[in-house]
Amino acid sequence: MTTHQRALGAYRLLIRLYPKRFRDEYGPDVVGLLADQLHDEPTWRVLTRTAVDLALTLPTRHLEAHMARTPAPLVPALFGALALSAVVVGATVGRPLVLLVCIAVGIAAGWLGLTAAHRARPLAEPRATSAHWWKLLAAGAGLLAALIATTTATGELPDGGWLIAMISGLAAVTLLGAGIVLGIIHLAARPHRRAAA
Amino acid sequence: MPRSKPLPAASLHVVLALLDGELHGYALMRRVEELSDGAVRMGPGTLYGTLNRLVETGLIVETTDRSTRNDNERRRYYELTPNGRLTAVDELTRLHTLVHRTAGHLPGTAPA
Repeated sequence: MTTHQRALGAYRLLIRLYPKRFRDEYGPDVVGLLADQLHDEPTWRVLTRTAVDLALTLPTRHLEAHMARTPAPLVPALFGALALSAVVVGATVGRPLVLLVCIAVGIAAGWLGLTAAHRARPLAEPRATSAHWWKLLAAGAGLLAALIATTTATGELPDGGWLIAMISGLAAVTLLGAGIVLGIIHLAARPHRRAAA
Repeated sequence: MPRSKPLPAASLHVVLALLDGELHGYALMRRVEELSDGAVRMGPGTLYGTLNRLVETGLIVETTDRSTRNDNERRRYYELTPNGRLTAVDELTRLHTLVHRTAGHLPGTAPA
């Protein structure tokens, strides 16, 4: 059995994770497309891209199956929540190996969340950076709330846990500060934007 | 009728790729890659998820007629509907306006 055949076999199994309706409609097409890509491009590149594609599209297709409107904005939030949960679990358990796995999961989920957010955005939509102030504020508040909840629930944290708690606290304060500053800039520039429009 | 909200990047690439006529999934993926200078490479789940949404919103339509094609039978072809073509042109106009307004920042170009 060749690498391509093994990869296609594994992909056929993995696409069973898509909702039944999508699988029934496009199952043979997605497998056929992967076969074409494997034929024309280096295997490692196609498999890496397909792994990311699966991770991003599985939650999207499931949300789509239950929603009338596009669920694209929810997917980054889903990955963000997963990243935050991984950090909280890692800090709570405190064992080095668990901590390492949770940090890896947190980083992967955070990266997938950013990628999903990037893909959901319209191409080249002109928007001021300061328009994102509320996202920083929300992220800072969320991180601070998670930190307070974790330290209150666990009482005494192990050494590694304290280090993560301190870093998370610093990150939360930075996010809150940046959100407030950007928010002020954004609101102050509003009359100029209206005049320009 | 022009759309008030710009299309997400994947949908935009697909409708622009279909401006020259009908394409099947793999040819569409290659055309998107070519149009974006290799920057956009869609995976199977992204491509068929986008096609599914565009079919549902009436911007594209499946044109597969297996009885009249010599091509591989498993391939499904898609083309723009009249509304999809209008949307594609509308998006092109939006991008053209954006480029026109900011082209002065390109190296070697005098500011407008």
